[in-house]
Amino acid sequence: MSEPQGTAPHKSSDVSVWLERHGDYLFKYAVFRLRDTSAAEDAVQETFLAALKAYEKFEGRGSERTWLVGILKHKVTDHFRRMTRETPLEPGREDDGPEHAEFFTRTDGWDNHWNNEYAPIDWHATPAQLLERGDFWRVFSDCLSPLPQRTASAFTLREVDGLTSEEICEALGVTVNNLWVMLHRARLHLRNCLEGNWFRREPTKPQS
Amino acid sequence: MSWYDKTKHAVRFWLLRRLPACKQTVELISQSMERPLTLRERVLLKLHLWVCMWCQWYLEHLQLMRDTLRVQKNENDEAEVPPTTRLSDEARERIRRSLTNNS
Repeated sequence: MSEPQGTAPHKSSDVSVWLERHGDYLFKYAVFRLRDTSAAEDAVQETFLAALKAYEKFEGRGSERTWLVGILKHKVTDHFRRMTRETPLEPGREDDGPEHAEFFTRTDGWDNHWNNEYAPIDWHATPAQLLERGDFWRVFSDCLSPLPQRTASAFTLREVDGLTSEEICEALGVTVNNLWVMLHRARLHLRNCLEGNWFRREPTKPQS
Repeated sequence: MSWYDKTKHAVRFWLLRRLPACKQTVELISQSMERPLTLRERVLLKLHLWVCMWCQWYLEHLQLMRDTLRVQKNENDEAEVPPTTRLSDEARERIRRSLTNNS
């Protein structure tokens, strides 16, 4: 190590402070995307180790958290790449998520149109109103959990992080058509699940 | 029902029978959030939405989910971490040790 000796203790104590300050946030960020606790812990650990190594590059420029999240993003993508290499998508894959054919099954000659039982209802909601609900995250996360891991991650990377299709395909090792099927099934499933949890329990308002 | 309403109703059903059904339309709605639709797709979608309240709501809800999740992401920055998604004490200790060993 050619660094001046004086920086080392300062450096590692700084990073320990970061662990206290940002550890939970980074973990939450990782768990939300990887949907796997131990993989998320590993990604957070790798992030702090990388932060320690690259400490000089940071040097108090900008927000610590933004910098750490930037590193973590790469670790998350690395994890997906490894996972893709180790368990490639099988040709006859069952990995896209539920098809929910029952949503569009009818017996009155209108098959392939919405079945009344599953047809969307008016939510009368705005993003702010949804977020005001204390159970937003719990319900969202519960609704995401029955989906295959890859499908849930694809949805999160797309809708929360706003990554492009190309970036997600690269990270998850899927074709664009495959990704679109995954996203479609995730949306179909989630929309129905959120509606069931938030809007169907309440008594139906009379239509005027 | 007035003569006008009856005609409107008949046109709606006539159109719904001839357009791609809801099952295909929701796929198209999802794709519209991923790529620009072709002119033909746009016309078919517009016509279907014009006569189908369910698919109109479906599109609205997908957009609402996207907007909500992206707002949440920004506001999340300093938000309280729910207790269920905290770094466990063991993991925290492991990371702390690995930081000390590597410094």
